[in-house]
Amino acid sequence: MEIIKTLLSRRRFLQASGTAGAVGAAALGSGGVLTALKPVRAQAASPPTYHATKITKSICHQCPARCGIDVYTTDGRVHAIYGSSEHPISNGKLCPKGPLGTYILYDPDRFKGPMKRTNPQKGRDIDPGFVPISWEEALDTVAGRLNTLRDKGESHRFALCFGRGWGASCAGLLGPFGKLYGSQNVPIGHSSMCSDGSMLSKAATDGNASYSAYDYRNANMLLMFGVGFLEAFRPYNNNMQVWGYIRGERVPKTRITAVDVHLNTTLAGADRALLIKPGTDGALALAIAHVILTEGLWERPFVGDFKDGVNRFKTGQHVDPGTFEEKWVKGLIEWWNIELKDRTPEWAAEITTLYERDILATAREFGSTRPAIALFERGVHAHSNGILNGMAVHSLNALVGSLFAKGGLMYQMGPSYGAMPVKEDDFMDDYAKSGPWKAQPRIDLQGHEDGYLIAKNMLQEVGPNSLAGKPYKLDTVMFYLTNPIWTAPDGRAWEDALKEVFVVDTSPFPGETAMFADLILPDHTYLERLQDAPTYPFQGWPMAQLRVPAIKPLYDTKYFGDTLIEIGKRIKGRTGEYYQALGDSENVIRHLAKGFETDPGDNGVDSFDSWKEKGVWYKKNYKWRQIGGAFFEWDGKGYNTPMTAEQVKKELFKTDSGRFEIRSGKLEHHADWIAAKTGRDKDKLMFPHWEEPQHPGGGDLYMVTPKAAMHAEGRGANLPVAIANFQPVLGGRGTVYIEINPKTARERGIADGDLVRLKSHLGSIEGHCRFFEGCRPDTVVFPMENGHWAMGRWAKGRSPGHCGEITVNQSDRVTGQCSYYTTKVSIERA
Amino acid sequence: MNTVKTKQTGILSVALIGFLVSAGLVLDNLAQYGHAALNTNNLGISWGFPIVVYDYFLLTSTGLAMLASLAIVFGGETFRPVIKRAVWLALAGLAGGVAVLFLELGHPLRALWAIPFSFAFSSPLYWKVMCVSFYVLSLLILMARMLKSHWTIAELRINGIVTLVLALGVTSIAGVVYGSQSFRPFWASGDIPIAFIFESLLGGLAFIFFFTYLAYAFNPAALPTGVKRLFTGPLPRLLALAIFVHLLFVLARMASGLYGNLEGLQVWHHVATSPLFYAEILLGLVLPLVLLMRPGTRNNPWVQMLASFLVMNALLVSRYEYILGGQLVPMFKGAWAPALLSYFPSPTEWLMLLIAIFLSNTFNALGELFLGLSSEGDPSARVEPEPLGAQWGEGGERLAS
Amino acid sequence: MAKWGMVIDLDKCTGCQACTTACSMENNRLPGENWQDVLFYHEGTYPNVKLMWFPRPCMHCENPSCVSVCPTKATYKDPHGGFVLMDWNRCIGCKYCQVACPYGVRFYVDEKAPVQPDIRTVFPSADGRVWDPPYRGPQDDPGRGIGIQPHGVVSKCTFCYHRVSKAPAGIADLDEDIPALKEYVPACVRTCAPKARFFGDLDNPESTVNKLIADKSGVRLKDETGNKPQVYYLSGGAAASVPSLRSMTPSDPA
Repeated sequence: MEIIKTLLSRRRFLQASGTAGAVGAAALGSGGVLTALKPVRAQAASPPTYHATKITKSICHQCPARCGIDVYTTDGRVHAIYGSSEHPISNGKLCPKGPLGTYILYDPDRFKGPMKRTNPQKGRDIDPGFVPISWEEALDTVAGRLNTLRDKGESHRFALCFGRGWGASCAGLLGPFGKLYGSQNVPIGHSSMCSDGSMLSKAATDGNASYSAYDYRNANMLLMFGVGFLEAFRPYNNNMQVWGYIRGERVPKTRITAVDVHLNTTLAGADRALLIKPGTDGALALAIAHVILTEGLWERPFVGDFKDGVNRFKTGQHVDPGTFEEKWVKGLIEWWNIELKDRTPEWAAEITTLYERDILATAREFGSTRPAIALFERGVHAHSNGILNGMAVHSLNALVGSLFAKGGLMYQMGPSYGAMPVKEDDFMDDYAKSGPWKAQPRIDLQGHEDGYLIAKNMLQEVGPNSLAGKPYKLDTVMFYLTNPIWTAPDGRAWEDALKEVFVVDTSPFPGETAMFADLILPDHTYLERLQDAPTYPFQGWPMAQLRVPAIKPLYDTKYFGDTLIEIGKRIKGRTGEYYQALGDSENVIRHLAKGFETDPGDNGVDSFDSWKEKGVWYKKNYKWRQIGGAFFEWDGKGYNTPMTAEQVKKELFKTDSGRFEIRSGKLEHHADWIAAKTGRDKDKLMFPHWEEPQHPGGGDLYMVTPKAAMHAEGRGANLPVAIANFQPVLGGRGTVYIEINPKTARERGIADGDLVRLKSHLGSIEGHCRFFEGCRPDTVVFPMENGHWAMGRWAKGRSPGHCGEITVNQSDRVTGQCSYYTTKVSIERA
Repeated sequence: MNTVKTKQTGILSVALIGFLVSAGLVLDNLAQYGHAALNTNNLGISWGFPIVVYDYFLLTSTGLAMLASLAIVFGGETFRPVIKRAVWLALAGLAGGVAVLFLELGHPLRALWAIPFSFAFSSPLYWKVMCVSFYVLSLLILMARMLKSHWTIAELRINGIVTLVLALGVTSIAGVVYGSQSFRPFWASGDIPIAFIFESLLGGLAFIFFFTYLAYAFNPAALPTGVKRLFTGPLPRLLALAIFVHLLFVLARMASGLYGNLEGLQVWHHVATSPLFYAEILLGLVLPLVLLMRPGTRNNPWVQMLASFLVMNALLVSRYEYILGGQLVPMFKGAWAPALLSYFPSPTEWLMLLIAIFLSNTFNALGELFLGLSSEGDPSARVEPEPLGAQWGEGGERLAS
Repeated sequence: MAKWGMVIDLDKCTGCQACTTACSMENNRLPGENWQDVLFYHEGTYPNVKLMWFPRPCMHCENPSCVSVCPTKATYKDPHGGFVLMDWNRCIGCKYCQVACPYGVRFYVDEKAPVQPDIRTVFPSADGRVWDPPYRGPQDDPGRGIGIQPHGVVSKCTFCYHRVSKAPAGIADLDEDIPALKEYVPACVRTCAPKARFFGDLDNPESTVNKLIADKSGVRLKDETGNKPQVYYLSGGAAASVPSLRSMTPSDPA
């Protein structure tokens, strides 16, 4: 009887959310009977009409692409996100992540205001004991620490690390802060943990330290090396629009060969899928170059030719440099003689495990189809030989003349931003100009002989270096849009490092790094922010988006740009004056927009207000083009103004020679250092060449951990809809599996679906495996997404474990690229 | 008689307590978790164990009704001792089944008005519900008329015919519900309604054996002579025949299923290799069949009790494998749904079986106590006493002595 | 009246699942209960392995088996547009329609949550619905299965009835690239980046959807069930094609 009584109690019934109330209650004859009989009342008084709905033009935040979004808000609630029709990247479309932004806004696990730590003990799964504080207290605390450091002459012991910087009103403020306050460690970007290997490979060859912009729509062949074009390559949304066009509408249909280490949707959709051995893409590229040369398929107007027109590229045979006249490339014949002449498809087949016939067919197709683009990202260069692989692939673009060509690739132009309200140079005090901090190296040893001389950033070294006190220990570190405890390889080192440092996190979400924070200064989520964002490399022509808040902030949060400005105002001396003059982030953005007054966008954006209304400023003409080996500038009507070699050097090939340097001047300048640190041959290290990659970890299987379409930069793990659809090969309806080739599994006594343990010398993680023939027998694959121990209720503890726990912190010594995909692990039944 | 009454009171108490406990637990679970307390899912297992239980009790009910009405229409006085019990048991069983159905439905009370007034003539379930309603009515009338102390089979003839038609209707429509799902070849077949009728009849026979013995507290000596005559006469032979026919249907479907290539039939390979299926066929059907075919064991009351009990279980398994089997191949759920779904009843679903069992038994015991179900076989009542037949086996003699 | 139909060009589909997530958000789907789904399959042996995917909404059949089995007429074929809809005020949750759908596109609301913790407990509803997410859309029409579901009923794709039904009368195609029409286009079609989806009036001989079906030999999924889907798939487009039925008969107008 007690059971029935309990059941009948209203309280109990309401508690039971997710109840089939009608069933339980109806059978009992309680109030539920009426519920069951009564028609469901409509929730809205009248049928919805869209004129009651406000549409805000903003931009997405879930990958670097910056798609324009229409945010639908009714009665103060954001309920839908679609691509903006007027936005050149999204064109009314979105990727699968886009619509999930509302989850991010209404994430129940968000931080709701500034907080400080009360538990002095730090550690994994230790409750920080956060208690709410006022913004005033929070900002004063940070500024107080910073002022004290500066007074002691130790301002370099403050570091500010950031991940996804967006524009001048957030990441753009960091450089001046470092200069004025006096810390070379403000800022340290995450580019080395992103795709610096690609930037540096390009800097080494064509002088542009940048990702490329691509003209896919006019290309007739795309040769993709480890880019995940239909999974993660930015701008993903636009890539798919391109795909629909080039594969479903365009005449002729663009041919696609995709190279990767496991079968993904890109490979499945390509004409030819090549499942290559990890770290050997460079060998494939060299063999393709070999075939292009021996079969005379190179683009002569761009590359140059033998003086007598007779092709002397014969396998194994030395070529006299004097017989060849190079045009826009430098070092081709030397490259042939020192490396390429023996790099036959047969040789590459051995290295890459691909079939010789496939290599040959790929090379012939790529060499004989114009325009063609060879594109590559981390799959290629996140290895110890990354710079060499990257240069080898990029050199293919030179051989077929696709640099700056129609249907080729180029580099992104910046927007016509107005000047900042004030110049930081006018506010430099003596300390800033010549304080003791100046004598210190960067904490990550970027630009230092003992560290990474040529790299752009070395975020992955910050934690370990501080922990080791080499070059010194940090006192205070602040994080913006980065969560290195989780994203850095071997995050345990970061955990130990951050235990002894005062940590300020600005994430709105309870990430792993936030759990080690002493102060939480939560940012707005992106639908609440006003934030500028010049385009990520897209189609070359300039574009600047504006993230416009769709609703007022739900909680007591503050835009990071303003948090930084407010801290700046509290720094003693001239720094504070600078930030007083800067005012706030909106003032900064208003000044940026002034540039549009004299250079209005194609869509009529010529002011802050029109920018805010439309969400994007752009001008659709790229300034330069290479046509048949000659370079021209846009004159307003066409590419009609011929460019001189000097202009080309200044604007396009920013190398010593002003040409595409297969023999890299940039590397040659540092030849001694590179030779000392990598053991490479001093005569060869400036050429793309084959070098066995180093695979640490101590296991026998390559561990590959790609990002999938549902990976929403740091937030995908806590989005229930993303979790539910984490497909195709790696996912599995709420459970992400470790992909393994059936043969590999059976040899180890592992059955389909078994719980397995992956081990490197750093430790082990567990997860369920799934047999997949599209996984190489020497490789295990699972996405970098799961295994959070913080980050929110859905993310926490989701299997399989996090790859970072067993990924060795190894970087390409030249590019500084963190080699995420190079650790070897062993697998066993758990 | 008094001891039997006492024992019936005991059965009633056990059944009632069992019902209250199982219903309490189920309602508690449903209140907490809703239908998530069931192991059905949106991958493809829409109808789980509760529907198996409901269908099992419904078809048993129609089997009992068929038995009773066939007896009325064709059987004559020999069958009289079990007619009233069969009718009441049909109602009691249905009550158990419907109770479970109501717990399984999303909106059971809405169903009460929404179905009859929908005029959804294209839906087998509409016809099934309409048919069941009239079927219940017909059974109630029959029961009411049998409550008179001196009723004759002849006066129930029309009633019997109506009940028979409705029972056949309910059973065959229940078959159509599955048999018409042409894209589920494990289910779909034109002869499913016929198979259901025979299966249902088998259930009715097994139940009447078991519950008759239960009425006398499993004491064969207490059986009235009329019952004894029936149980040593045509009824065990009918039971054997019904087992045989049901076996034929199952094995024939299995054979064509195993040889068929159509997608969905691969479930048969799964079913035909499961221990449960072997238990159903060998223990639940073949063993009783053999025991009932052997003249030496056929009329042994303990054999009959065992056989009917085994058949009752086999039919539940059979129903389970049929209903689940048709759903095991998921419809377009992709590589991450397994090729064959897996299902096992949750604790709540098992408790729902107990609800059906205990509720039916509660009603049945009430009938035994207050409706004089046993009076028809009582020699002191209408049936002429007769000496024991020669076919009454040795066991019976031993026990009777 | 129009008979709305969808055409999905499989040559263009990238398997990104944006259709699935856009639908999830537009229609407040529980995570993992995808009205619109993309199904992945793979076959073959390393190194030559086939990975394929198949986008699958409700087919909104001309002759839907789910509708004919419903004992309460809670699921019905809307005569104005040919939508297959649910009346949540009539549904008794018997799930027969789910059993009778050869495409697996119907969902009972009270099953265990595919993603734990159950988001329904995070955003509980105060008025008898299954949940109340703060980002739910303003549309609510229980008689057509639109909005947040009540307990104990079956839900399904509505072809975004709340959008499509507002389209100007007589229009042949709802093309999301035409700004004036985009608000009427179903969420999955509107968001599809490679433009693999088209939505229009199958009863209008001049519609783009009919043109595509004719030019690229559109086929219907599991035509042998006789359900006659109003969703057509395109691939290849050769005139030499495998017929989906032994004899082809013209479709019924809506």
